[in-house]
Amino acid sequence: MSSFEPFNRLVRLAARAFYDDITMKGDNQPKTGRGDNRGMAVVVLDALTRRQWVREEDLAKALKLHSKQLRRTLRFFEEEKLVTREHRKETAKGVKIYNAAIAATADGQQPVKEGDEKNKIHTHSYCCLDYAQIYDVVRYRLHRMKKKLKDELDSRNTIQQYICPNCGKRYSAFDALQLVSMIDEYFHCENCNGELIAESDKFAVEEMGDGDDNARRRRREKLRDMLQKMEEQLKPLMTQLARVKDLAVPEFGGLLAWEARVQATARVIGDSNASDSKSSLGQGYGGTPMPFLGETRVEVALPGMDVKEEDTGLDTKSASMKVLPPWMIKKGMVLTKEQRGEVKAGIETAQSLYTTDEKKPGAEKEEGKNIQDEYLKAYYAALVKRQEEQEAASRKMQEEGETYKASAAEFSNGIGELTDRQVGMKSKRENDENDNVYWEDSTSTVSGNVGETFKLADLNAQPEASGDDEEDIDWEEG
Amino acid sequence: MFFHIFLERNMLLHPRHFGPHLRDKLIAKLMKDIEGTCSGRHGFVVAITGVEDIGKGLIREGTGFVTFPVKYKCVVFRPFKGEILEAVVTMVNKMGFFAEAGPVQIFVSNHLIPDDMEFQSGDVPNYTTSDGSVKIQKESEVRLKIIGTRVDATEIFCIGTIKDDFLGVINDPGAAS
Ligand SMILES: [Zn+2]
Repeated sequence: MSSFEPFNRLVRLAARAFYDDITMKGDNQPKTGRGDNRGMAVVVLDALTRRQWVREEDLAKALKLHSKQLRRTLRFFEEEKLVTREHRKETAKGVKIYNAAIAATADGQQPVKEGDEKNKIHTHSYCCLDYAQIYDVVRYRLHRMKKKLKDELDSRNTIQQYICPNCGKRYSAFDALQLVSMIDEYFHCENCNGELIAESDKFAVEEMGDGDDNARRRRREKLRDMLQKMEEQLKPLMTQLARVKDLAVPEFGGLLAWEARVQATARVIGDSNASDSKSSLGQGYGGTPMPFLGETRVEVALPGMDVKEEDTGLDTKSASMKVLPPWMIKKGMVLTKEQRGEVKAGIETAQSLYTTDEKKPGAEKEEGKNIQDEYLKAYYAALVKRQEEQEAASRKMQEEGETYKASAAEFSNGIGELTDRQVGMKSKRENDENDNVYWEDSTSTVSGNVGETFKLADLNAQPEASGDDEEDIDWEEG
Repeated sequence: MFFHIFLERNMLLHPRHFGPHLRDKLIAKLMKDIEGTCSGRHGFVVAITGVEDIGKGLIREGTGFVTFPVKYKCVVFRPFKGEILEAVVTMVNKMGFFAEAGPVQIFVSNHLIPDDMEFQSGDVPNYTTSDGSVKIQKESEVRLKIIGTRVDATEIFCIGTIKDDFLGVINDPGAAS
């Protein structure tokens, strides 16, 4: 596990830094209400950090997304080199192999559906994160961003302009050939043969138009500002990059290899105490459960371990990650709304039910009730099994909360004109539209604890948030 | 960057060439006319590598000249913004230096030369680092990056920079000889 978590954190940070604002535009967007699905990219990436190879249909189901929508997102990430995908034609048998592999990683988690057991051949797509490539891609992206700003600041790549002090005629470096004089080492005016002087930091024509000095100075200031903001706001990401630098990159290998390995591992160990001994197999695959499922116990220890590891490793920086640095808190204060996003994925679902009731007590209530019934069933089924895992999961949520908060605070007034926006709100809307009962198993089951967790993670937790939550839980149990 | 492309041109041929060697004459004239010229769209024509097709000639009334549409294949060279080129320095002055990469003239102004290189006037004007380890003078070979191009009917002029990673002198004529 320890080999995965730093990289997963990297993915989560990068997702919030770069893909927070991405809209997946379909070719023909039928309903206007669905047009805005920003934030979905982040949700998908987050989901992938909790999985290994996953069949895209299953992922879509788990995320309550339309499979087309998910595929579009994944295709985008494939182009961005974050995700590896594999497609294969398979019969029901092939599906079984995959399901067996899934079952091996976490027994019983994937409800193996027997419905479509025909000999039809379907093309199934699988995807997983490509950690090695993600590391490189993120580093390259940062490098390019920085270089572009710096180049422009140093007025590199700009065409020098010259001006004649006598007659005021302007020349650019393109005229250099005509301006050279044989007598001395200067350029001379074609009109009056005066000595030309270079105009200091004149920006290239294409970028500036013929802006006056003020515009130029403003632009320089803006550039410097942007550069500084970037350094500051992407710091968590860069710290994380530095942290994973010397770690072995976890790799799943190809889909087939992965399946074979997973099954082999499962066979050797036996199902009962898989979680105990898996980690001893080394980090290749063994230490990589679906974090929220099979090996939750291993993960419980994680935050503590993490701290230790960080403390010994990069103590100066790790301190800023665990104990909130002042600047983070300060920004957080202003942006309490922002912070309600990810952590509350669980609450959100509960809350959305609550709010629909509240808003339209009449007509909507019936529908809401159905949803609630469904939710109840799912909830109870999951509740028994997960109860002892809640503690663990809530720990994880808290950690994610911190992650998110860091990035939310960072990017709320982001480099470009990132609009202020709540990821949580988006996902909520998504929920409403799709009549989703719960966002995701792991998060919804934790909802009982989230109020608490939330407070721990966030000093600015709003009282009504937890209030809603408790009320909802009461209702569910009664 | 070099490209190997097909181009077409209407060739005007004097009637005195009409005879058994018409085709050879036409190709010779094509080479003489085209090679070394420059067009904004395609860049410099470096060499004609083959004649693909010569169409039917059309006699011009009154003069007796005939135009043939000729399709030929040629190597062209066109510099692009952002391209890295190796060039030979042709002239150094206080404002910067000029260099040539084949037919292309490139000017590197002094603000695009690294700040630690200073201009030294004298018999052989040059730009030198403070410790004297790197020197740019006439005949030096430099690797530079194109940051702007201006294309005329007959020439392409470029602005380059050596103020970036891995750019600058790649051989030093003073040290070699
Ligand atoms: Zn003048």
